[in-house]
Amino acid sequence: MLDVRDVHKWYGSVHAVRGVSFAARRGEVVGLLGPNGAGKSTTIRMITGVFPPSRGAIDVDGHSTVDEPEAARRAIGYLPESAPLYPEMSVDGYLAFRASLFEVPSGDRKRLIERAIERVAIGPMRARRIGTLSKGYRQRVGLAAAMLHEPGLLILDEPANGLDPAQIRQMRETIRSLAQNACVLLSSHILGEVELTCDRVVIIANGTILADGTPADLREKHAAGRGRVVVEVGRADAANAEVALRAIPGVAGVQTAAGDAEWVTLVVESTDPAGIRAAIGQALVRAAIPCRSLQAEAPSLEQVFTKLLEQSRTEAAA
Amino acid sequence: MSVTLAIARREWASLFRLPVGWVTVALFLMLCGSVFALAVLNPGMAASQRAFFGAAGWLLLPVVPAISMRLFSEELRSGTIEPLITSPVREGSIVMGKYLGAAAMLACMLVPTLLYSLVLWRVSARPPEIGPLLAGYLSLLLPGLFYLSLGTMCSAFTANQTLAFLSTLFVLLLLLLGSALLPNLAPIAWRPLLGYLSFDARIQDFAKGVIDPRHAVYFVGASIPPLLLAGVALRARRLA
Repeated sequence: MLDVRDVHKWYGSVHAVRGVSFAARRGEVVGLLGPNGAGKSTTIRMITGVFPPSRGAIDVDGHSTVDEPEAARRAIGYLPESAPLYPEMSVDGYLAFRASLFEVPSGDRKRLIERAIERVAIGPMRARRIGTLSKGYRQRVGLAAAMLHEPGLLILDEPANGLDPAQIRQMRETIRSLAQNACVLLSSHILGEVELTCDRVVIIANGTILADGTPADLREKHAAGRGRVVVEVGRADAANAEVALRAIPGVAGVQTAAGDAEWVTLVVESTDPAGIRAAIGQALVRAAIPCRSLQAEAPSLEQVFTKLLEQSRTEAAA
Repeated sequence: MSVTLAIARREWASLFRLPVGWVTVALFLMLCGSVFALAVLNPGMAASQRAFFGAAGWLLLPVVPAISMRLFSEELRSGTIEPLITSPVREGSIVMGKYLGAAAMLACMLVPTLLYSLVLWRVSARPPEIGPLLAGYLSLLLPGLFYLSLGTMCSAFTANQTLAFLSTLFVLLLLLLGSALLPNLAPIAWRPLLGYLSFDARIQDFAKGVIDPRHAVYFVGASIPPLLLAGVALRARRLA
C-alpha cells in the first residue's frame, strides 16, 4: 500500500530527511516515532504530496506521488496535525465538501458521510458549526473527513494531540477498526499510545530511521538488559535492603525511587528481571526486611526510544 | 469542473457566514445608497445613474481587496490549505474555485443596487434608458472581476490578510494611475499601445453608455495572467 524508497529532503542547505525507506501494507497500523525536528512531519508531507521528495520515490497503492500525484492523493486520507478545519462551516457541510473534493459519486455520498459520522461518534454535533466544537470533537471531524472516501492509506499526524484520556482510548479503538480495511500510518509523541495502537513502529531521528519493527521486536533487540524489578520495602530497613539486593548475582544496580513515611520503593536493574524475582524475595526474607510488593517490569518502548536516541546523539557528536 | 464549483460554493457561502463578508457588503451598499440619494435623486435632473456608477466604481477599489484578501491568506494562516492541496485537486481548480466564489459574492453585492434603478424608474417623469444602465453595471462588474483576479493573486502569496489587502490596493492604484497618466506622458510612438492597454479609458466608455464587446474581452483577458500567477504561487508551495 505504501512504499517509501530512499527518500531525501533538503530545505536549502538543511538535509532534513536522509534516505528514509519503509513499506506498509493494508491491515497494518504503523507508528512513526521521533523527537521534534526528527523528520516525521516532513516525511508525512512528502507522502501526502504537500511537497515532493528531493530524491527517492514514494508509491501509494502503486501510484508514484511525483508522476501520478492525483491518483496517489486519491488513495490517501490525511489528518494533519491539529486538524485544521473551516470554523464557519457545519460538520455536515464540511464532510459534504470533502466528498466533493474527492469526487465521491453522488449516489454513495450520503451513505459514506453517515458511516464516517457514525464511526467517529459525532452524530449529535453534525449540525453544529465546527468553530463551536471542542478540540476532541474537531479532531474527530478531521478523522471523519480523512476516512470519508474510504482510502487505502490513512495518515494521521499526532491524532491524540490535545485529547483527554477517554478520547484517546476512543481514538485508539477507531484507528484499530479502520486498520481492518486500510493501512494506517500515524505519528505520535505519546509512546505508550503508540505501543498500544501500532503493529509496527518506525523510529526516526535526524532524518534517518533508527529502528523498524514490532514493539516486541524492538524491546527484544534494543532494550535487552534494561529490565527492572520494583520492590517496596520498609523505610527503616531501606539501607540494609539495598546492600542485600546489590549482592544478588545479575543485579546491575539499585536505585531509590519514591515512597511514603513507612515504605520506600527500590528499583532493581537486571538483565533478567523475571528470573531474578525469586532471588530478591529470598534475600529480603533472609535479611528479615519487610516487603510490601515486588514486581518485574519488562523494558518499555520508551526505554527503547531513549536508548536509540542517546546512541544517535552520541554518534552524531562523534 | 464539479470540484471547481464545490470550492466556489464553499468560498461564496463562507464569505456570507463571516462578519467580514457582511460588513463589506453593508458598507458598500450604505455608501452607494448615500451617493444615489444625494447625487442621483435630484428633482429636475435627467434620470441617469451615471454619478452612482462613477462613485461605485471607486468604492470597488477598497471593497474588492476586502473580499479577496482571505481567499488564500486565511487558508495559509490556519493550515486548512494542507487538507486542500493534499486532496486530488489541481492548482487550477483551486484558484478558479476561489475566484468564482469571490466573483459570485461581488455579483451578489451588486444585485441589491438594482433597487436604485427601480426607484429611479418609479420617480422619473421620463424613465431611464436601459442601454446606459446595462453599461453602468458592466462598468462595475468587468473591472471588478479584474480587480478580484489581482486580489486572488496577492492573497496566494501571503498568509497575512492585511498584507494581501494592502498589496492588492497598491497594485490597483498603481495600475489606475499608470493607466490614466502614462498614455499622455509616454513617448508619442508608445502612446497608441498604452492607450489600448489603458483600462481607465474603457471604464470611461462604459460610463458614457458605450457597450463594446472588445472591452469585455479585454477585462476577461486581463484577469487571466493574475490567476495563472496565483496558480504558480500555489504550485510553488507544493514544490517547496
